Amino acid sequence: MAETVTPEAVPDIGQEEETRPRAELDPGYLVICWDDPVNLMDYVTHVFQVVFGWPRQKAEFHMLQVHEQGKSVLAREGMEKAEHYVHELQKYSLHATMERDA
Amino acid sequence: MKLLRIERRKYIFQLTTPEKRVLQAVLSRYSLLPRRSQPLSKSTPEKADQRLLEEALAARRRDNQKQLQGLLKSKRRVQKAKVGWRMKLSGTDIEWMLQVLNDVRLGSWAVLGSPDLNHHLVVDDSTGPHLWAMELSGYFQMRLLEALQQGRATPKPHKKRTRKGRSGK
Repeated sequence: MAETVTPEAVPDIGQEEETRPRAELDPGYLVICWDDPVNLMDYVTHVFQVVFGWPRQKAEFHMLQVHEQGKSVLAREGMEKAEHYVHELQKYSLHATMERDA
Repeated sequence: MKLLRIERRKYIFQLTTPEKRVLQAVLSRYSLLPRRSQPLSKSTPEKADQRLLEEALAARRRDNQKQLQGLLKSKRRVQKAKVGWRMKLSGTDIEWMLQVLNDVRLGSWAVLGSPDLNHHLVVDDSTGPHLWAMELSGYFQMRLLEALQQGRATPKPHKKRTRKGRSGK
């Protein structure tokens, strides 16, 4: 006689798929500041400090990169946040754009 | 223009009468930057986003204009002193004044045809006023940035210690 098997209720302990914001899944935009011959170096440093909340040393590092190499990648973000940063930098009349990260 | 002191988060500057006039003259040139000078992206122009950016910048310019008119007329912020004038600015005021001055600086350079400033530039009746505005905007920007720097470096006054958790009887 075949044994009767009581079906076991197996608890669903499998890991649920994480849901993350789209911006986090697709951090595909680079926020770039480009060099120009008119903006004052101290001004650019100040703007980086205000917009990104960076300490002076980090802001100066990126300012010098802009000055010496013609541009600096300031952040890599999702579309919305990258747009926000570009808006903020352009409010201060810095030459900033967002470019899709290849 | 000289920072006298920082008092209750307000920056108090001293200006001579000529400095005040020059500052007003420079600020009154706002806004000079061409409206379509700022692309959102070099590689992937997205029209809707570009339009939003231009609208946001235009709104910002209107706000700055209003605030500027307020400052130039405000007797509370700019007062006659025994020697020269006193100008009282908050940190927020300084931020927008920096933006306004930078617009004048970059805009004057754009009006001059965006020249290479390391090469000889003819100074005559047509270029002189723009060069003047550009350099003086830079001068006032530097004074404001120095003041902010000084504000960051100034130690906060010590708070009196209070004994929390005790009945105080």
